[in-house]
Amino acid sequence: MITKPDTRLLKAVALLLVAATAFVIASLVLGGDHAAATTVDPVVAPANTPKSQLVVQGLINGTVFGILLALAAVGLSLIYGTTGLSNFAHGEQVTFGAVLTYFLTTKSDVSLPLIPAQFNIGLPLPIAAIVAIIIAGGTGWLQDKLLWGPLRRRRIAALQQMIVSIGLSLALVNLFQWWVGGERYRLTTSIDSRLTFGDYYIGRQTLLSVVIALIALAGVAFFLLRTRLGRATRAIADNPALASASGIRVDGIIRLVWVMAAALAALGGILLALYENGLSFDQGARLLLLMFAAVTLGGLGQAFGALVGALVIGIVTEVSTVVVAPDMKYASALVILIVVLLIRPQGILGRAERVG
Amino acid sequence: MDLLIDALGESFAPATAAFAIAAIGLNFHFGLTGLLNMGQAGFMLLGMYGYAISIRNGLPIWAAILIAMGTAIVFGAILGWPTLKLKGDYLSIVTIAAAEIVRYAGRSQTFVNLTGASVGIRGNEYKGPFEDLSPFPDERITVLWWTYHGSASNSWWLRLVAWTFVGLMLLVFWRLSRSPWGRVLKGIREDEDAVRSLGKNVYWYKMQALIIGGVIGALGGVIWSLGNSVQPDSMGRATTFWIWTLLLLGGAATVFGPVVGSIVFWTALSLVKGLAKLFIPESIMPSTVIEPFALMLVGVTLMLLVIFRPQGLLGNKKELAFHA
Repeated sequence: MITKPDTRLLKAVALLLVAATAFVIASLVLGGDHAAATTVDPVVAPANTPKSQLVVQGLINGTVFGILLALAAVGLSLIYGTTGLSNFAHGEQVTFGAVLTYFLTTKSDVSLPLIPAQFNIGLPLPIAAIVAIIIAGGTGWLQDKLLWGPLRRRRIAALQQMIVSIGLSLALVNLFQWWVGGERYRLTTSIDSRLTFGDYYIGRQTLLSVVIALIALAGVAFFLLRTRLGRATRAIADNPALASASGIRVDGIIRLVWVMAAALAALGGILLALYENGLSFDQGARLLLLMFAAVTLGGLGQAFGALVGALVIGIVTEVSTVVVAPDMKYASALVILIVVLLIRPQGILGRAERVG
Repeated sequence: MDLLIDALGESFAPATAAFAIAAIGLNFHFGLTGLLNMGQAGFMLLGMYGYAISIRNGLPIWAAILIAMGTAIVFGAILGWPTLKLKGDYLSIVTIAAAEIVRYAGRSQTFVNLTGASVGIRGNEYKGPFEDLSPFPDERITVLWWTYHGSASNSWWLRLVAWTFVGLMLLVFWRLSRSPWGRVLKGIREDEDAVRSLGKNVYWYKMQALIIGGVIGALGGVIWSLGNSVQPDSMGRATTFWIWTLLLLGGAATVFGPVVGSIVFWTALSLVKGLAKLFIPESIMPSTVIEPFALMLVGVTLMLLVIFRPQGLLGNKKELAFHA
């Protein structure tokens, strides 16, 4: 339910956003002497780096990852809030944004499944990204029109729809593998230069991604809290029947939510592909559980919960590498999910209610 | 013709039996109790590790199987404790997360001495004792149109044992689902509050169902590992989704549903791949993409099944309803 959180929480979230923005601006201003990093591998630090420094660098990386993850996950939360569907195919929306951008921007030959021809489109990255986001939004519209809308009209239970979304996810991830194959691709060949300040660093391109993500998230917040349509969205999340009775076009709003969710997921996918320096057909599938963890942690269906949850997940993921092996970092994020559910099943921002 | 024989051979392959067993376990969860366990592959993987690591350390087979079952019991208890009080989607998210934790831990370099990390454990390190038990000769044997080895790896011996196990598990399911205990589980599936008001401890019943289904899943994993090798990435999320597909295909909450589902699933998959290779020209579909193409169809099948025929091939529409 996307009810308006009480002002304290809103303030806390706003403060968080302000702090993050301030951090970004400060690092832009202060970190002027960017060493053109020769290697772009942000994970590897010299072996004798002190733990505290690793933790702080982990905090920085984690905040970045968390913000990007929030962008990808906010749509998942919106869809759950308005329709009650845990959409397991959301990860594929994330992949789709990245793969489509790669398809449009790469200089090498690409092809489509079943069509025995090679293309070479090679648009500049920003234009390719915008086109991809628009097309992704279109797939959201199409999906709701052809699949989820009819299912809702047939009154198929939410859990049954969830298994349909699992089937869709399975179909799409294999379609993407068919489309681009199993290799890893990069969206851009340019090497990200680093801004260093003291002992810490952040990529210039990463910083830009964070700014874009924060603007998009602020846009979503503005939409939900200040516009008529946003209010209608929250009304549906609260009580669809009542919303419908008060003259809100429930189906229209839900379709809009699907378009937004798909477009935001695509943007998230593109930015994450830039951040992780590569994309593959299972990019979103790997992130799906982290997104679910973020949304569940924040409180299922709380739009701002996704942001808080994603920050927690991002920071836990990155900071945990100080203690556990890097190939276990996703596992530690999922352990946090289970621990939080033990203590506070409704999530961090969720209202206490019986969930069993 | 070869195609047909290959496909029919799939219908009694050890992997088919292993998935049927895992699906019988899931049938305890979903079919009887209505639990949305999305981590059945995690139970299978634990069973595989439990068995292979025990054998490698010189334990006898019966002990290894007990250990495989024991890990599943512990895992089920840990998993059920926080989640069985929560509603459906929480349970599914937590079970899928827990299964992924097992897989991440299994493929991590941290435990490389125990699990062999992402390479896994090779078959010849743990298959020996089982293959030594084989009464069949140590050579390739042809029965009708199929030729398999008598006792090594993907053998007639493993087929015999695997399908005996399937039969045993069917018997267990049939007995338990018709017992008073099974009726309580069905009651929980239909209306949890009503069962609670009768004074039953719903939480404890759900826990029992979760653990029993999980142990059966682990046994399925052991059978699977005897025909292949222990490899964490072969038990990812997709595996769980396949088990769901074939359970829903055969018909959840029915006795033979999981077995029929598994046979139809693997035979059809083999047929589709064979036909695609035969009839679709290389220029349109190169042979490398046949696998993703076939698995894409699995996803589409799952969607269509759930939408149009949730009761599957054998099920009863009234019996199978999705409850929150």
